[in-house]
Amino acid sequence: MWIEQPILATHVKPGQFLNIKVSSEPDPLLRRPISVADVTGEKVRLVFRVVGRGTELLSRNRAGDIVDVLGPLGKPAMIFRNRDIIVCGGGVGAAPLLYLTRYLDKCSRVEVFLGARNRSQLILVADFRKLGIKPEIATDDGSMGWHGPVTEPVFRAVQKKKRPIVMACGPKPMLVDLVAKVDPVPVWGFVEQRMGCGVGICYCCGLRRKNGGYIRLCQEGPVVLLNEVEL
Amino acid sequence: MKYRIKIGRTVFANPVLAASGTFGFGLKFPGVANRIGGIVTKGITVEPREGSPLPRIYEFPGGILNSVGLENPGVRRFRKEILPELRRLKCRVIVNIAGFSIDEFIELVDGLDYKRVDGFELNLSCPNVKNGGVTFGQSPRMVERITKAVRKSTNKTLIVKLTGNFIDPLKTAKAAEQGGADAVCLINTLFGMALDESGRHFLGGRTGGISGPCLKPFALFCVERVASKMTIPVIGCGGIMSGMDAIDFLSAGATMVQVGTASLVNPKASLAVWQALGDWCRRHEVKDWEDIVGRTKRQD
Repeated sequence: MWIEQPILATHVKPGQFLNIKVSSEPDPLLRRPISVADVTGEKVRLVFRVVGRGTELLSRNRAGDIVDVLGPLGKPAMIFRNRDIIVCGGGVGAAPLLYLTRYLDKCSRVEVFLGARNRSQLILVADFRKLGIKPEIATDDGSMGWHGPVTEPVFRAVQKKKRPIVMACGPKPMLVDLVAKVDPVPVWGFVEQRMGCGVGICYCCGLRRKNGGYIRLCQEGPVVLLNEVEL
Repeated sequence: MKYRIKIGRTVFANPVLAASGTFGFGLKFPGVANRIGGIVTKGITVEPREGSPLPRIYEFPGGILNSVGLENPGVRRFRKEILPELRRLKCRVIVNIAGFSIDEFIELVDGLDYKRVDGFELNLSCPNVKNGGVTFGQSPRMVERITKAVRKSTNKTLIVKLTGNFIDPLKTAKAAEQGGADAVCLINTLFGMALDESGRHFLGGRTGGISGPCLKPFALFCVERVASKMTIPVIGCGGIMSGMDAIDFLSAGATMVQVGTASLVNPKASLAVWQALGDWCRRHEVKDWEDIVGRTKRQD
């Protein structure tokens, strides 16, 4: 899905999200937070998987429809310079990494790893290739690339690098596995959470810090240093 | 028409407030805060609180269920870090305070005796804390004792936020009036819970508070029930999403309204409610708030 909005397209940075009212009706009431997958000219690209009523309603939009969007929200992801960055996406988690990679690729050495259950669940592979990056693929059923979890090839890549940084987005089990596997390498991850307002006023989208207390994901995230939080 | 409204010692520019817990400290949206009657801050406790475990919010057709558990930095950090920032706002600022004993309420009021604090809203209705909150609000005796004690400690505007959970709000509102409150606010969220597929509690705090459009009919009922029998004003709260909702509350007898959950959907919701309310008044050539407030009863 593409949203044409010049001001939004100019201002949105990798890691940020939009909070979208999927229906003009009072139900569903809350907006749905969706990460930005890419920006081209005056258009912002969103790639999402239909998982519930909210995303289902959002997917019903057709070209020319007007959507109620709040954003850009959240803290932009850190763009590291002159470092070895390992980008790791699981399933639809590849989406926000595309826009991030576009930025990182200009100032760091980037390797991309994309994993999914099977070949048909892999997304945006061609878009990464267009950036001049050849993503390493892993599928749980072996239908494409490495047979097994994507965290395996990521782990091997990390070992070859000096002071690497991992940037990841994907299902929670993948993130947990990743942090444990590459420890103590820093893993910056996009975290998904039930969200209320998206603008920091309701305190509903907490994320527990390992040294106590909660952070507001919509304010200090959605990209956070996973080594410091409890997933 | 003059839109100003006076409650206690505070003059509000118009009758719309942003409700506690749904607008943070008003600092994210000063353009909204400065154009509505005022803001009620997130609840402040004596000690910092980290709040409820996750998840904290659940959505259902008609509203939401939340259990944030009064996460807040505590009164000392509020004073040091947030209060100076609040001086940037031009609107009225009511601080919502949640004590777990009468002494704590007094400590909070004493610790917040600053010019920038226009008044206090006593939180006697939070459903997401083990002691205090709604437990106080379910006892008319406690409501009166706490209000009386706080009244002695401050001459700032005092609003008591009441609950509709298992207690006749008329009884607790009367108790607040007896205790010397300048106004009561009706209602806070109602008890609720949600389960996941395996039958476990969905919310980290297990139970939560219901808010949103589904609350409006009950809140409206509470406001009407209480307003006609009180000498102090009632502030209506519960499911206000539009200007027309606000007019309903005024008609039922509320002098002011608070916009809560709507701000989570649209941070400018309280301003939109005020603009729609103002437009409606101009269209209907309302001369005085008295013409609308409580008109339902007068027409019976």
